[in-house]
Amino acid sequence: MIHVQGVSKSFGGIRAVRDVTFEVARGEVVGLLGANGAGKSTTIRMVTGFVPADSGSISINGFDTLDAALSARRQVGYLPESAPSYAEMTTRDYLDFRGRLYGMPRPARRAAIDQSLARCDLADVARRRVGQLSRGYRQRVGLAAAIMHDPPVLVLDEPTSALDPRQIRHVRTLVRDLAKDKAVLVSSHILPEVEQTCDRIVVMARGRIRLNAKPRELLAKHRASAPLVVQVKGDGEAARRAFASIEGVASVEAGASSGNWHTFTVRGTGSLEEAVGAAAVRAGLGLRELTRAAPSLERIFLELIEGEEDPGKAEGGA
Amino acid sequence: MKALWAIATREFRSFFRIPLGWVAVSLYLFLAGLIFAERILISGEPSSLRYFFGVSGFLLLPVVPAVSMRLFSEELKSGTIEPLMTSPVGDASIVLGKFLGAAMFLVAMVLPTLAYPAILMAVSDPRPDPGPIFAGYLSLALLGLVYLAVGTLASALTSNQTLAFLGTFLFLLLYTLVTSDIVGLPPWAARWAAELSLGPRLVDFAKGVIDSSHVVFLLSLASFFLLLAYVAVQTRRWR
Repeated sequence: MIHVQGVSKSFGGIRAVRDVTFEVARGEVVGLLGANGAGKSTTIRMVTGFVPADSGSISINGFDTLDAALSARRQVGYLPESAPSYAEMTTRDYLDFRGRLYGMPRPARRAAIDQSLARCDLADVARRRVGQLSRGYRQRVGLAAAIMHDPPVLVLDEPTSALDPRQIRHVRTLVRDLAKDKAVLVSSHILPEVEQTCDRIVVMARGRIRLNAKPRELLAKHRASAPLVVQVKGDGEAARRAFASIEGVASVEAGASSGNWHTFTVRGTGSLEEAVGAAAVRAGLGLRELTRAAPSLERIFLELIEGEEDPGKAEGGA
Repeated sequence: MKALWAIATREFRSFFRIPLGWVAVSLYLFLAGLIFAERILISGEPSSLRYFFGVSGFLLLPVVPAVSMRLFSEELKSGTIEPLMTSPVGDASIVLGKFLGAAMFLVAMVLPTLAYPAILMAVSDPRPDPGPIFAGYLSLALLGLVYLAVGTLASALTSNQTLAFLGTFLFLLLYTLVTSDIVGLPPWAARWAAELSLGPRLVDFAKGVIDSSHVVFLLSLASFFLLLAYVAVQTRRWR
């Protein structure tokens, strides 16, 4: 539904987005994640047709955002960051205006307004001026405006940034519900947000995509390559030799030890838990702990972003 | 087209939802009414609205920039330009819709002054000549369109409403001064300035003469500035 192919964008010599490629399919929620200034908003603005890309191409539901700009924009429901809307208008009037911009006839508009008011929990403020509403309500007015013409593609820039925990849960459920028959691109700089709502995350840093993966697969992958931490009671040197002789073990690193207790970090390939356990028993050691030091998604995310802060490392991995 | 009309009516209505719109309307009507009561409705003199049109044209100089300054500047500042420019509406429709909405507001503002010719028709003997009255309103409308087009351009160029207001006001003031005889221009420039001058054309209208070349000139001038506003909105996308 959303195809972004080799897209770059510069602002006055600063390369905000560099050679970005990703896709969002129907029924999928993709989280665009990155620190502030990583190029998320620029990417989103190119997808929604607010700014054109310098190079590369973007198509929305088959429509190119430059060659068929109006058709492409018609496919998208867009909630910009900070959800701007006209302060002097009432919620209902604003939604009516949005419906008219999308060429919806009056009866369809009325039905769509009622539906999106209900879905975004806004019925009680339908006749209030948008400018008088709290930030959380305004955010949901923007969301209602984005979904009211039932677009096949939804682009939400920080959709939960001003909401309280109950509202956040409500919006998450709504987004998951909407994603059944839509392609949804959600941006955020908060990981838990993306982790819970998204099927896939695209991490950006310094204008580039650093990672495009499913959260579960990402965790599994990092888990598999994570070192084993073993704590045993007995002869430390014997234990080190026992572990090092296991097939598949690449290195054994001695950690802290207190009295008879020794901690080792065992690195290697394959699932080594059983072999390490068995080796400890054979060597007559008391086994107290055997765990994988698996990183949290947060850790992985921070490493990706921080690795990118240092220009020396920037050209290396991913 | 539907979207253009949606933008125009939203713009028009919003003027009545904010203090600025009411201030502009009441200030204009107050001053126009003062002129009418003090200078036109005088017993024993031949009735003519000429003075009213002259002053109204002058009042447009601050009023129109105050109306037009919001058009784009406010949207640029509050960020509403983003949902607007990502909706399936062409930039030309956005510019024309906003221009039309503001023009409709100016018409609504001037509309109550139709009471003046109505009063003159009723109380004045001999009745006033309808020709100059019609021509006077036409000139007011055309002048308003030119000013509004300049204001739309200025508003598209900045997110600062004060700057949009001052830019429009000063440009219009400068335009009026430079194209009139007040400043001593070299002869070759003076000839051009006279061609672009609005004053003599307005005088013709006030006499009741509707010269189609004047109408075409004023409409072209408005179109020229509107075109520039369209270019300004387009280039905003590209930077």
